Amino acid sequence: MLDQIVKAYNEAVFETDKEAAFDVVNAALADGMTAEEIVFKVVIPAVEEMMSNITKDPDANLAQHFMTAQIAAEVTEKMLVKFEYPPEIIGRVVIGTAHGDLHSLGKRIVMGCLKALMVEVTDLGVNVPAEKFVEAALAQDAQVIAVSAMMVHTATGDNGARKVRQILQERGLESRFRLVVGGAPYRFDNELYKTVGADGWAPDGVNAGRMIVNMIKEVKAS
Amino acid sequence: MPTLLIHSAAGEQRLAVAVGQSVRDALDITELRVRAACGGTGTCGACLVKLIGGAVSTPTVAEYMKLTPDERAAGTRLACQMRLKGDAEILLDQPAPPSHWKSLPVENLTTPSGSLPDLQEHIYGVAVDLGTTHIRVALWDRKHGKRIATRRGPNPQGAYGADVLNRLDAARAHPDRAAVLAKLARTAIIQAVRDILARDVGEVTPMLAEIGQVLIVGNTAMLALLTEHGGAALVDPAYWQQTIDCRPADAAAWQSQWFMPNAAIVMPTPVAGFIGSDLIADLIATRLTAGPAGSMLIDVGTNTEIALWDGQHLHVTSVPGGPAFEGVGIRHGMPAEPGAICRVRAADDGFTCETIGGSAARGICGSGLADAIAVLLAQGKLKPSGRFAVSPGPEGFALDPTNPKSTITGIDVDAFQRAKAATAAAMAQLLLQANLHWNDLQRLCVCGAFGHTLDIAHAQAVGLLPPLDPARIELFADASLAGCEESLLAMQGNAQFSALTAKTKTVNLSLVSGYEDRYIDHLRLRPIQINI
Repeated sequence: MLDQIVKAYNEAVFETDKEAAFDVVNAALADGMTAEEIVFKVVIPAVEEMMSNITKDPDANLAQHFMTAQIAAEVTEKMLVKFEYPPEIIGRVVIGTAHGDLHSLGKRIVMGCLKALMVEVTDLGVNVPAEKFVEAALAQDAQVIAVSAMMVHTATGDNGARKVRQILQERGLESRFRLVVGGAPYRFDNELYKTVGADGWAPDGVNAGRMIVNMIKEVKAS
Repeated sequence: MPTLLIHSAAGEQRLAVAVGQSVRDALDITELRVRAACGGTGTCGACLVKLIGGAVSTPTVAEYMKLTPDERAAGTRLACQMRLKGDAEILLDQPAPPSHWKSLPVENLTTPSGSLPDLQEHIYGVAVDLGTTHIRVALWDRKHGKRIATRRGPNPQGAYGADVLNRLDAARAHPDRAAVLAKLARTAIIQAVRDILARDVGEVTPMLAEIGQVLIVGNTAMLALLTEHGGAALVDPAYWQQTIDCRPADAAAWQSQWFMPNAAIVMPTPVAGFIGSDLIADLIATRLTAGPAGSMLIDVGTNTEIALWDGQHLHVTSVPGGPAFEGVGIRHGMPAEPGAICRVRAADDGFTCETIGGSAARGICGSGLADAIAVLLAQGKLKPSGRFAVSPGPEGFALDPTNPKSTITGIDVDAFQRAKAATAAAMAQLLLQANLHWNDLQRLCVCGAFGHTLDIAHAQAVGLLPPLDPARIELFADASLAGCEESLLAMQGNAQFSALTAKTKTVNLSLVSGYEDRYIDHLRLRPIQINI
């Protein structure tokens, strides 16, 4: 039965059909499957498959990535409230768009994937001052600070990732958090993330999810 | 409509021409223009063409005066005098030098109503719609309420970025570049005016001195770049909802650069950092606030602006829809100009493509792209996710297998999905802000990139427009320019603009929670769900 559910769910996700995905999940619940089983045996494998497929599927477009990440996040959110015990979170991330930047969609795919992978995400929104990233990371006891920037001047400017790095240095917090960045300017110059003081970057939202999960593991292991 | 076949050094071109239209007027909206130095009155004798055959009007008195008997015997005609009665064939061996400036199609123009100003001097006026991608200009004899001519051409700032933010970024990062960008736009405006004067009046410099007003509307970023005002502020989100004064710092310098010593340069103040005076010009042209509560206007473009009239207030917002609807960023995308596929219909299992002007397809414009996607979807060749049922590969899907310019790629579909989702989600969000529902919409005015050629049923099928009774949906071409022209003739300066601006309530979608979810929900290619 599980195989059929996985197949039907993956098909719905591939077609970016949120209603169909929920139909599959609701039918599975009605058949006696638990919310935990649905998340760990259906949703997470689907997200992982999407991550491994992204570079092999040239036909998948950005609109589809937005929609599939959204389905993963919404299904996970609905299932989490049905969990018998609170789920084990693998880590925490604070994410936001750099100061001066109102582009918020870039981080949507990242957040969708992370939520489905049991990472607790605190969304600080857009136009976020550097201090707020650090304060929130401390308050949430996060492992990773993720700064999105879609314009050259917000990616490279003095009030974005660069300033977050500076604050981490000044306050001796560098071993506690990894700083990662994403957004169009980093795609044009693959070494730019180093220039602005970040520990990592990813070329797209799905890969960013994978990169952040690895960073969380690194921080936890250190 | 009859077909005009034109032979020239550029090869053969076919053009659909209305019966009674002159050859010159027909060619003026294309890249292939005749030489001209009068307003089509037959007095300059420059617009020579050779008639090869076909059904055309007989030579006029002007042609007898300007052409020798030998020339007439050889089939030489004046393109401004010769009108089509049926199919015809001509040779154009001495075309005008290539230019970016073309006339707007007559069907896009409206005649403003109202009384005319009582002017004794400097009776001419210029209306300018300064768009991110295109600049539109009209020259008027204000005293007699006569439009001399119009022009549309590309905004030369496009070389510094297709979208607004890239250009603002360029201007902010290098002060020298800000001056370059401003000069590019100012030069383009005067080039358009000079092109009109040279071709449609026959006199340039003396006429420039007779121009009494230049009225410029545009989105705030374009106005800021034009005047070198506030560009840096516009990049900072703190200023997005504030009024930004974009008047020229040194109007005398403009007058002297433009050779227009008597022209008042009027630039109505834009509504906010992200909502321009072009939206207000649209409202003037469509008389949106004179209509019932629940009247909405969308001006579709690289930066789509939306206004919703609830009977008391105008809720306004803008959304970066991306330039896809203007043909930018689409593999074979092009603006709605001759040669653009503007309509696509299903035919058996294939397609029929209609191009603007009826010539061979050179690319596809916004309405053609919406049509093509709707038809592909209905045929099951494209799925609601935006994926092709059978991957056509990176070369894309050919609507016409014999024409490589008719292909649509997966990346094109993606760009379209994101542009239509931003538009639909912004409309939905604005309705929510006004506490209205889709079904409350009594009137929906669609202005901007699509012009008159958008197929409403197709736009509804892909989720670009709501599935309302089509009688409630009206299409407008070049509405911003029309509103600007109306204001130019009304001679009230800023008053009309400020009266409407006073009714506005701006909504910055970047700061509205829920907008993103709405955007993602609208990415699928399916009708907007209006009953939830």
